[in-house]
Formats: sequence, C-alpha cells, structure tokens
Amino acid sequence: MPNYITALNQKITATVAATPGICVFGQNINTGTFITGLTKNLAVPPDGRIINTQNSENSLCGMGFGMMLSGARCIYFAKQLDFMLLGVDHFVNTYNFIRCSRPTATLGSFSILALVCDQGLQGPQSSFNSFGDFCSIARIPCYSVTNSQDAARIIGTELVAPGFRMIGLSSRLFKTEFLELPLVHAAGDGSVFQYTEGGDATIACFNFSLPHGRALQQALAAKGRQASLFSVNYVPQPDWSPIRDSVAKTGKLIVFDDSKSVHLPAYRLLDEVAQAGRPFRRWTVTRGEDVDFGMSTDEFRVDIGALVSQVLA
Amino acid sequence: MFDRLDIAQRHLAVKVLQVRHWQHVVNEALKKNVFPVPVHVAFGHEAAAVAIGAMMQAEDSLVLTHRNIAYNLARAGALQPVYDEYMRLPSGAGAGRLGSMNLSNPGHGVVYTSSILGNNFGVACGVALANRLAGRAGLVSVLTGDGAMEEGTFYESVALAQSHGLRCLFVVENNNHALASTIDQRRCPIDLAKLCGGVGVPFLRLSGNDVFAYASAFAEVRNTVMSASAPACVEIDVTTMNRHAGATPGWPTDPMNVDFQRGLVIAERTIDPVFVLKQVLAPALYAELEREVLMHPGSP
Repeated sequence: MPNYITALNQKITATVAATPGICVFGQNINTGTFITGLTKNLAVPPDGRIINTQNSENSLCGMGFGMMLSGARCIYFAKQLDFMLLGVDHFVNTYNFIRCSRPTATLGSFSILALVCDQGLQGPQSSFNSFGDFCSIARIPCYSVTNSQDAARIIGTELVAPGFRMIGLSSRLFKTEFLELPLVHAAGDGSVFQYTEGGDATIACFNFSLPHGRALQQALAAKGRQASLFSVNYVPQPDWSPIRDSVAKTGKLIVFDDSKSVHLPAYRLLDEVAQAGRPFRRWTVTRGEDVDFGMSTDEFRVDIGALVSQVLA
Repeated sequence: MFDRLDIAQRHLAVKVLQVRHWQHVVNEALKKNVFPVPVHVAFGHEAAAVAIGAMMQAEDSLVLTHRNIAYNLARAGALQPVYDEYMRLPSGAGAGRLGSMNLSNPGHGVVYTSSILGNNFGVACGVALANRLAGRAGLVSVLTGDGAMEEGTFYESVALAQSHGLRCLFVVENNNHALASTIDQRRCPIDLAKLCGGVGVPFLRLSGNDVFAYASAFAEVRNTVMSASAPACVEIDVTTMNRHAGATPGWPTDPMNVDFQRGLVIAERTIDPVFVLKQVLAPALYAELEREVLMHPGSP
C-alpha cells in the first residue's frame, strides 16, 4: 500500500501524462526534491510543457488565468498554500472578470495544487491552513484530497476540467498510509463524499480530518455501532442533503474540522442541519483558539475514546 | 505639412479625430450623470491608442487597464457598443456585465481589462504563453501607467516574458499621475530603460503625440517582438487632459474644463494629439477630415 504522497503523485502524473497540450508549472517542479515528491516523474505529452518557474507567485497566478482565458489547460504546483496568499488578487478580481465575461465551458483549465503546511514543523509563517477562507473570499471550489475515492474524482477529472479550482494536499498525511475506502455516495460537484452507511451516528469531516473521522467510525463499529462517514470539500453551495438526511435518521452529528479559521465551513453544516428542525445531539471537534503570545496549535489531537463514550452515552 | 494622405495615414488621422469626438460625447454625458458606472476618460491618449490599434494584426491581443476608453473606441471603431456598456445595456460591448473599468471586447482583440493596478501583467503573460504553446503567432500588448508599473508584478512579468520567450509588448503610458499624485510626490524616478536593460528587454520611449510617428514606431516594435519571439517595452509620455474619473469639469469652478462646443482640440499645445494632427495637416485637409468625423458621429 503506497503512502499518501506516493499515491497522489502517481495519480497526478497519470492524469497529466494523459492530457494533450497540458502546461504544468511551478518552482522546482522538475528538479531538487520535486516539491517533496509531489511532482516526481512528471511527464507531459509531446505538445505539453513543463516549466520550472521563477519565484513570482502573484504573476504566476495571473499567468494561469491568462492561459485559461486563452483556452489552454495548465496546473500550477505550489510548495505551500501560504505562498498562494500572494495570488489572492487574481483569485478574486481576475476570476470575477472571467466568470462575468465567459461561460465556463468555453474556457481552458487552471488548477492550483498546493501543499498545506498542517504538520506544525515549519514555524508560524508556514502554517496557513484555511482552505475554506480561500473558497469563501472568491467562491472558488477548493478540494482537500484525503483518500483514494476523492483522489480518483478530483485528480482524475477536476484537475484538468474547464474552469478554475484549488486542490490542497496535507503535509501531515504525507507519510501515512493512503486511505482506501469504499464509496457510498459522491456528489456530482465533488463537494460531499460518503464512505460508510450506518444508523447510529453521522460523522462529517472537513479539511484534512478524515483520518480522525475514520478512526471514530471504526471505534464505534468495534462497539457494534454503525456510523455514516462523510468528507466535505469547500465547494460553493454544496448539496448537504445526504448529511442532513443521515442526521435525521441517527440524531447524532460529530463534526471534525482541522482548519485554522474563525469561519469554519463546519458551522455552516451545523446550521443547515439545525434548520431542518429535528432535534439532534452534536459534537464539534476543532482546533483551539489563538492564544496570547502564540496562535492556534498545529497539532490536531482528538481523544477518540472519549468521543466514543459520549456518543454511546 | 501634409496636404494629402495615403489610405493608411488617412485612417490614422480619422481615427484620432473619431476617438476624440466620441470621448467628448462621453464627457458631455458624464456632465449629465447619465451613466450608472464611473468612467475614466482619456483625453490626450488618442495618438497612442490609435497607433497601437493600427499595429494589431488579426491574431494579436490587447490587455487593458481601467483607463481603457481610447483603446476600446479605437478597436471597436464605434461609439455605440462602448456607450451602451456604460449604460449597462445588453447591447454593450460586454453585454452590460463589465461596465467601464473592466471593459473588454474579444471580437476586437481586447481580451482582458483590469481595474486592479498591476493585475493585468501576469494575465498577459498567460495569454502569450498559451499562444506559444498552441503555435499561434499573436502579439499580446499590455497597457499600464506610471502608477501601476510600481507594482512588483511589473518587474516579475517582464522577467517572466523574457525567460520564456513570450511575444509580449509592455506599454507604459506615463502621464505623471496616479490618482492625484505626481511621480515626484510618491517615489524616486524609475529609469525604465535601465530596468528593461537589466533583464535584456528592448526599450523605446515615445513622446510628441504624432500619430504617424507613433504608428511607424509601433509597427517596428511589433516586428522586433515577433522576429525575436521575446518581449519589448515602450514608454509613452502622455498628458491626461481630464480629471481622474467622471466629467471634466467636475464642479462649476473646476480649473480643468473640457467643452465640446469649443471644438475637438482641447489644448493648443503638443500635449494634445488632435492639436498635433492639426499642425501637421494642411488646414483644408484637417477641416475636411474633421467635417467627415463630425458628420458621422457614430451615435448617440
């Protein structure tokens, strides 16, 4: 079983190699560590191009949009999501222009594939972990890839589809075993994936927290309780109905969100379910708040045993 | 002094007068507050806009800024689609969705227009790179001003274009203003020739507002860019003879005053491309061209 980064590298290289005319670019994508293995063995068809670029994130984001506007397909590999803050002008302003002037089907494709530094090893300036905020500021589809099912869908189709999106990979999961999960349901827009079906509890995982949700689902199964397990991507106007319907049956919702943001998308789900009007018990597992002389911790520790006890109580 | 013009020269001269005339129409409408969007008029930019428009071939692209009116009018060759866009009408060049500061017109080569300073350089590089990958032989001209070129992405994009052999022409309209600040008021001088020279990009500076001279210069620059498959940069000295945005005058005692009733010429100096044109044409010829333009206002 390959680890997370190896499995994703294989899927990415396969998709890129099969896409005519694709242009892939970014810093160090064909040299050094190949962005920690992410772009290793990258190859494009004869009419494609691999460009090892200068360090100009803002201009490179604009370049990707210019290529998309001209009908080209391109992928920008970024070593850290933090660096993409320099491109926010384009995510908002350039993207707004494009969606007001051209139907998506007439556009080329532009994807940004960024590593999210969520492992807490690179200091306070390399720990931006708020994909949902990117999505919110410009209504961009942002996908946090965590397992074989969402990778197949997001890397296999969305990566080179017409239009713009961002895809995040978790540094924390790099060396962990790549999760191979069964698929119960996948929303057409890639917003909601369901991996297990059960009537005792509903588990919804945001950002890169799926392994924690999976651990809870398995711990409950060991106690003879079956849970429905979902992961959610930051897609504007997602269809929450599979999760809402599940909670209507189970009456229990456990939400995991390991992103660092005040405006967690998980809160939107809780709101949505609450508006359905049926009573339910809820558990929300998030990072701690920022503290004086410091900030929210990078580690995302979850006491699964305690959660199981509470859910079973 | 010209007492006759060949077809190409006549086209240039008529275009300068048309763009000036249509801007007057827009300015008079602005005085009456008829537009629901802000408009950045560009009296004084006509020679550059017409010369660049004339330089463009069918496969070329233009990437503009918020002060795009002269370029859009020159490329569209008509007032109505631009005027309608300012009115946010479906018949506008952007179907009423883009307004003034983002007005593009892909059918006439204006593929992208940004109201955000420096935002358009990277996009222009992307359009040029897509051309190159697809084997299309188009030149991408990207406009900016002495204010927006202060953004770091200007330098980044010039280097990016040079690094990857992009057919990109960076055009800096230097009107010595960013909002209400002159260059002296906000920064040290930037020697664009040296900046471009530092990354090996050819540089040319134009001044004088003679549309015939500008057209020749841009045709030559286009040849250079296309044959070398590499970028170039042109800085043009421009005087914007109107307020930053909105009508001129903007208030009853505004010292800046533009009035269509006084004719097409705004300033009897070389800062005015129409005045320069009037100086280089025989009076009878200028009168004939002016009459032709005013008789066909292109509505409204």
